[in-house]
Amino acid sequence: MILLMLIMVLIIGGFLSWYAEQWGPMWPRKVALAALSFDALLVMVLLFSSDSVTIPQIPESTDWIAHIQITWLPRFGISMNLALDGLSLLLVTLTVFLGFVALSSAWTEITERVGFFHFNLLWTLAGVLGVFLAMDLFLFFVFWEIMIVPMYLLISIWGHEDRHYAAIKFFIFTQVSGLLMLLAIIALVFAARAESGVFSFNYFDLLNTNFGADTGYWLMLGFFIAFVVKLPAVPFHTWLPDAHTQAPTAGSVILAGILLKTGAYGLMRFVVPLFPDAVYEFAPIAMTIGVISIIYGAKLAFAQSDIKRLIAYSSISHMGFILVGVFALNGIAYQGAVMTMMAHGISSAALFMIAGSIQQRIHTRDMERMGGLWQDVPKLSALALFFSISALGMPGLGNFVGEFLVLIGSFQQNFLITTIAALGLILAPIYSLILVQKVFHGVRSEQHAISDFGCREILTMMAMVVILVCMGLYPQPLMDLARPAVDDGLFRVITFTGEQQ
Amino acid sequence: MLAMIILIPLLPLLGFMILVLARKYLTDRISAFVGVGSIGLSAILVAVVAYTYFSQDPEPLRFQLWTWMSVRGFSAEFGFYIDALAVTMMLIITGIGFLIHLYSVGYMAGDPGFPRFFAYMNLFIAAMLILVMADNLVLLFLGWEGVGLCSYLLIGFWYDNPENGYAARKAFVVTRIGDTAMMLGLFFLYRELGHLDIQAMLESAVELWPVGTDPAFWAALLLFGGAVGKSAQLPLQTWLPDAMAGPTPISALIHAATMVTAGVYLIARTHELFILAPDVQQMVAILGALTLLMSAFTALTQSDIKRVLAYSTMSQIGYMFLALGVGAWSAAIFHLMTHAFFKALLFLTAGAVILAVHHEQNIFKMGGLWRRMPLTFTIFLIGSCALVALPFTSGYYSKHEILAAAYQVHWCFWLAGVIGALLTAVYTSRLIIIAFFGRQNTEPHECKEPVIMVPLIILAVLALFGALLQTPLESVFVPAFAEPEQPSSVVAFIETVVPFIGIAIAYLCFYENPYYAKIKERFLPRLGYVGKLLDTERVAELKIYSFLASGWGMDRLYDILFVNPFKMLAAKNKNDVVDDVYTGVTILSRGLYSIFSWTQNGQLRRYAWVLGLGAVVVIGVGILA
Repeated sequence: MILLMLIMVLIIGGFLSWYAEQWGPMWPRKVALAALSFDALLVMVLLFSSDSVTIPQIPESTDWIAHIQITWLPRFGISMNLALDGLSLLLVTLTVFLGFVALSSAWTEITERVGFFHFNLLWTLAGVLGVFLAMDLFLFFVFWEIMIVPMYLLISIWGHEDRHYAAIKFFIFTQVSGLLMLLAIIALVFAARAESGVFSFNYFDLLNTNFGADTGYWLMLGFFIAFVVKLPAVPFHTWLPDAHTQAPTAGSVILAGILLKTGAYGLMRFVVPLFPDAVYEFAPIAMTIGVISIIYGAKLAFAQSDIKRLIAYSSISHMGFILVGVFALNGIAYQGAVMTMMAHGISSAALFMIAGSIQQRIHTRDMERMGGLWQDVPKLSALALFFSISALGMPGLGNFVGEFLVLIGSFQQNFLITTIAALGLILAPIYSLILVQKVFHGVRSEQHAISDFGCREILTMMAMVVILVCMGLYPQPLMDLARPAVDDGLFRVITFTGEQQ
Repeated sequence: MLAMIILIPLLPLLGFMILVLARKYLTDRISAFVGVGSIGLSAILVAVVAYTYFSQDPEPLRFQLWTWMSVRGFSAEFGFYIDALAVTMMLIITGIGFLIHLYSVGYMAGDPGFPRFFAYMNLFIAAMLILVMADNLVLLFLGWEGVGLCSYLLIGFWYDNPENGYAARKAFVVTRIGDTAMMLGLFFLYRELGHLDIQAMLESAVELWPVGTDPAFWAALLLFGGAVGKSAQLPLQTWLPDAMAGPTPISALIHAATMVTAGVYLIARTHELFILAPDVQQMVAILGALTLLMSAFTALTQSDIKRVLAYSTMSQIGYMFLALGVGAWSAAIFHLMTHAFFKALLFLTAGAVILAVHHEQNIFKMGGLWRRMPLTFTIFLIGSCALVALPFTSGYYSKHEILAAAYQVHWCFWLAGVIGALLTAVYTSRLIIIAFFGRQNTEPHECKEPVIMVPLIILAVLALFGALLQTPLESVFVPAFAEPEQPSSVVAFIETVVPFIGIAIAYLCFYENPYYAKIKERFLPRLGYVGKLLDTERVAELKIYSFLASGWGMDRLYDILFVNPFKMLAAKNKNDVVDDVYTGVTILSRGLYSIFSWTQNGQLRRYAWVLGLGAVVVIGVGILA
């Protein structure tokens, strides 16, 4: 029940904050804050509960913390099937936390149609939560679409100069890939019926289906492309720089922090467990795509002069690590991919918030026109330095743990790809430190009379600093939470390869 | 003991956090108190630990604080491993670190970034301590990257000058190349041996890998890559001279005494692995010898006082690598220690000189300083004597240990060391003659503040007598030679005399004296090219001179090979060629749209003639086919 509440609170909260606009612009913000706080409470309950539920299809498993199944369209084997394990819980926590961050960054930035803005914000978050919780493929697809539409509106209404182009590009890319996924889902369900005789969209029913080699491969490819567009990986990445750059700050925070992770989550939750044999076969290609993303994204990031574009391309580079980590099919690397998801979620959200704050203050994103900001806004600059350093993989901070585990794990499987991926570690400081140099160091190219971070912003930022430091020094609790999902996904691949040999 | 050892890196870290978080409420006085005090306390603790450690039977101590990460058989602890080597390094780091912190209070006084400076310095000390105390390679890597970060932050400390920023980024990126090699080394070691705990890893390496096998080669080579980057050895040495853009105390602390010697520490720490890979060990010796010669030559041509010292540092670290390469582990660490004393002293004194002459760093614009600032001059002279390895200074003993070991392995290494010693004497004397003697070009104001002078005097004493502090390292290093053979008296004589020859050469070439000037005038033109080479006024015209002065053209080479292609590629593809594909799809569909919308304009005429034309074409095709 708690899972359903998580989503419903945001959906109802969305309506309420839209409605509350008539009482003044502060009300939608407060309503949204209340809804998120309620969700945060629910997440706390889940984090501290030690319950485990049994799923009828896999009675021996104790990995699941909560589960709810309500009949919806029984004729097609579709139900409201939500379940939560450690991996989902991590991502749900990240989502709710970044919801606060997004809210904080929109607090003074959004002044027009405030109610509708918060409606869209909460609905996007609700869609994302649904994606992380849905264990029915049809439901999953519904949530997948729910999160896209409000996001599209966020970009196209509250975005910057090129917002319509960017919003439509975002919509078409994700829509086409979503269509591909829908086809794959339907084909999967039919293929499963041919195998087992049951017509069901239930994830747990489908888990142990044994497809023919070819069918499995094609189905896997359908899911893979849908998720990789979202991730994104080269060559499906070109929607991301535009969307990130044009979106309002809150939109960029959610896009970079959470929406990208839905792609990674999809790979972990669906692609690997459902098609272990196809994944095993496909792994080298996927890892190659990951490595290309790492290098290509980093190179493009270096070339940018728009601060948000730079961060956007750096996200592509970091997401490459996730792709490598998942498809290395190694426990350490897989765990590293999870850690990278969490750490990048925080660090990129923080960087986008900083970029947004700068734009709000000096009305440009062009780094050539910045410089010497440290003198004017020392707090903002010091925080930006911290997050840039975290993003470039400084040990002791969260991102390092993820990337280190990805690389050390994938090195066991494929040292050549890992070595090339490690080159990304040389490129990361090149673009990150250029950003610090051009924006905060150097001479002031223009005079700005601007204010430093205020109390609200400092609070948000410090929360993220603390989280990244904790993740960097003591990541074990997070890894223990994610462990069952990681083990389960890989177990399937390993048993498959065991059968092969 | 445990609490004390935890406090040693924790105190500087706390100092850093106080300085960052409470920045607003701190006056410069309190910042200095926090910054220097934290290091002072931790230095006292280190002294106590060292005393108890060496007075007992030196058994290594191990402390594990918590499990950092543990995934499927891979685990890294937050754990410390304290043995004689670690204690020696901790003594150097906190001892010299404390003196340099104290000096900085005077040097940085009045700088608007005063608290920020001490915050970074404290963070640096904490990271450096973690580096030498770590019991596993992952934690060591944390310290390793941490010191690199602080080096970056402090080189670019005066951030309003873009050149400083460039130097800082260059330092970070170039060392990161080495760090990445080192990280791959970690991955490799884990794959082959299954753990990254240093002692356990070394034990199983010795057990599993016979001497000279491939895995040992690769593991040692990759770790060596990290050492080369951090310690500014060939081919990753280009960042160090530019790093002099940072404040002078930074050059003393990070780029002379501690961080740049981290590579030496790493190799010494994992020396069992290098013994298993004789090829790599030989490479260490060769690269060390080459670096020591190349940078000594370059030091001869520099006109910036700090760059002379920077190249000299590279050269001296070359000696340490040479020592490591010939298996003289404890000699390398001994030289690391004495070098830390005298090079920190030289940098700090150079800083005092720079302050006195109003931030002028060009030695040709100084001149005649010794009369105006006798105390500073004397201290600089003491440091130089130790650098040149004149008898009875600390540098003499450590350098001789290295040369003796090099002689036993191969005479080539010994010769490189001796030529290096000669060059060291020449460039050091040149620096002193040009900056402190000769015509006075500027009016100096000698700074005699106690916060500046006291550390200098202590360091001067250490530079002279520091050799007495040599810590016993037999418990860590098994001597490479069971029976160290005493070098013949001729060899020892050459080693001792060489510095004096160097000083004499420098005296002849650089000291302005009317009598010599006449001789020079008469003889040098007759000697042709050699004459030009010896003529200090005309040598700068020679191509070889500017080649040497630019650091053997390595910067240009790397620009051509790596930097420019990367920049060009990035600039060419700024707008992402992949996006053009998708734009192409848009253009295509727009084109198709306009073609098809042209066919549907609602005019009967158009439909009729298109119909007719179509019919003709179809019939025509039918007939012809």
